[in-house]
Amino acid sequence: MKRHGKTANFLRSIGEYVLSIGFFILIWFLYTKLNDVPTYILPSPDQVWSSFIGLFTSGLVWGHLWATTYEVMLGFLIGSFLGIVLGYLFIKTDWIKTALMPYLIFFQTAPKIALVPLFIVWFGIGVVSKIILIISMVVFPVLAGMMLGLESIPSDVKNLMKVLKANRWQIFSQVEFQYALPSLFSSLKIGIVQAVIGAIVAEWMSGKQGLGYILTYASSTYETPMLIAGILLTILLGIATYEMVHIAENKMLYWHESKKE
Amino acid sequence: MESTKYSVVTKNLGKVYKNLLKDDTVALTDINLEIENGEFVSIIGPSGCGKSTLLKIIGGLEKPTSGEIIYSDPENKLGFVFQDSVLLPWKNVRENAEFPLVIQKKRSPENEKRLDELLELAGLTEFSTALPRELSGGMKQRVSIVRALSYDAPLLLMDEPFGALDALTRDHLNLQLLKIWSKTGKTILFVTHSIEEATFLSDRVLVMATRPGRIREIVTIDLPRPRNEDTRNNPRFAELNKYLRELIG
Ligand SMILES: Nc1ncnc2c1ncn2[C@@H]1O[C@H](COP(=O)(O)OP(=O)(O)OP(=O)(O)O)[C@@H](O)[C@H]1O
Ligand SMILES: [Mg+2]
Repeated sequence: MKRHGKTANFLRSIGEYVLSIGFFILIWFLYTKLNDVPTYILPSPDQVWSSFIGLFTSGLVWGHLWATTYEVMLGFLIGSFLGIVLGYLFIKTDWIKTALMPYLIFFQTAPKIALVPLFIVWFGIGVVSKIILIISMVVFPVLAGMMLGLESIPSDVKNLMKVLKANRWQIFSQVEFQYALPSLFSSLKIGIVQAVIGAIVAEWMSGKQGLGYILTYASSTYETPMLIAGILLTILLGIATYEMVHIAENKMLYWHESKKE
Repeated sequence: MESTKYSVVTKNLGKVYKNLLKDDTVALTDINLEIENGEFVSIIGPSGCGKSTLLKIIGGLEKPTSGEIIYSDPENKLGFVFQDSVLLPWKNVRENAEFPLVIQKKRSPENEKRLDELLELAGLTEFSTALPRELSGGMKQRVSIVRALSYDAPLLLMDEPFGALDALTRDHLNLQLLKIWSKTGKTILFVTHSIEEATFLSDRVLVMATRPGRIREIVTIDLPRPRNEDTRNNPRFAELNKYLRELIG
């Protein structure tokens, strides 16, 4: 009975999505057709669709899609790892916190994108400077989330670990990490969005690879259907990577109050 | 040797908290205690008189500022039951109870078997795979007690373990605790706000006074054991409660 209700709910929400998007596309279609809008200003939905399909059937897009996905994944993984490790060290060792906090605040508030030209000078126009930009955009939210999570541990849980004479590693792996997870995952979801933004922006500025490059290319050649198709693809990549984090969250936080059915 | 007779002995124990903006808090002064092996001792007293502080010092969670503590157990192994059950929310009932064995790498077949017996004794067997969020407050506290007993420490420290529960659940858990206590022969130090609970459970009740936190009197509870529902109807039970209430004032 309950199961049935759930599927019905799911189908209904899917239906609502389709309806809402369908309505939007219809307005878009009518607007471009009735007003004879030039294609380079705003192509009609069917032109965008065929361009979108064309990107795949021509095989052109695969290399670019892969390049961006690769940068996003690698930058996100390294950035998250660094954020987790630094967050732990900051909470555990006061002198590291005191020593690095000023830089941290500086870097966290600095618009990282402004640093891209500098990264290009230092690390070249290749994949390295892109990854570094992505890392710099991921690491700070994750670090903050990790710190917040570690601070949320109830003091009696720490007392329990002390009574049991647990060692540092046991305290981290058995208790601290799990307690940090809810806040950590909120920050990872911010981090993955940041990673996609970082990748696209870095690709605008340098190199001939990636979805960001497709966007600048299409824009400079006034191939607007391709531009919008590229934007769509970027959004899809963003949704897909975000959902991966979201699924991991649901798997690992099965015990959390927020996941109660 | 006294170490064979006494589970915990404290000598002139004192604790002062330094405060930045106010005068220092003298949380405890001159605490001299001799807790016998297998004894059930409750600690009562007005709020802020240092009950939790005393328990934390004995449990090694805080350092005394003066005096010393002598344990009979050379490793001073002990179990601690906190006011909130502090179960790990991602572990089910059995995993939570088993947690100390995992941390201390003592997951031997005997220990696992004893754990199952304790779960049985606490009436938790059928809930062993439930997550903490699915349990009532009373059940959580029972899990927390089993967890504290799982590694067979001779001394059990409990800080208002049933403070957050309704009277009925509390009475029920008191009986269950006495059953576990008589089966396992542990020494129990039990902090509570409830005079009746202290009288019902204990061999002796330690009455504390506040400002500075100190021992006012140690009252021997001469009610017969085993204790059960009838104990509460014993005229002596009422007498002792009255006496303790007047002591706390
Ligand atoms: N970490 C601390 N820093 C400073 N003062 C403290 C600290 N912990 C306790 N105190 C003070 O020590 C005194 C005793 O506190 P304690 O928690 O032991 O009282 P208690 O008897 O357990 O009270 P309650 O019945 O309300 O739980 C109080 O005056 C309290 O303000
Ligand atoms: Mg207290």
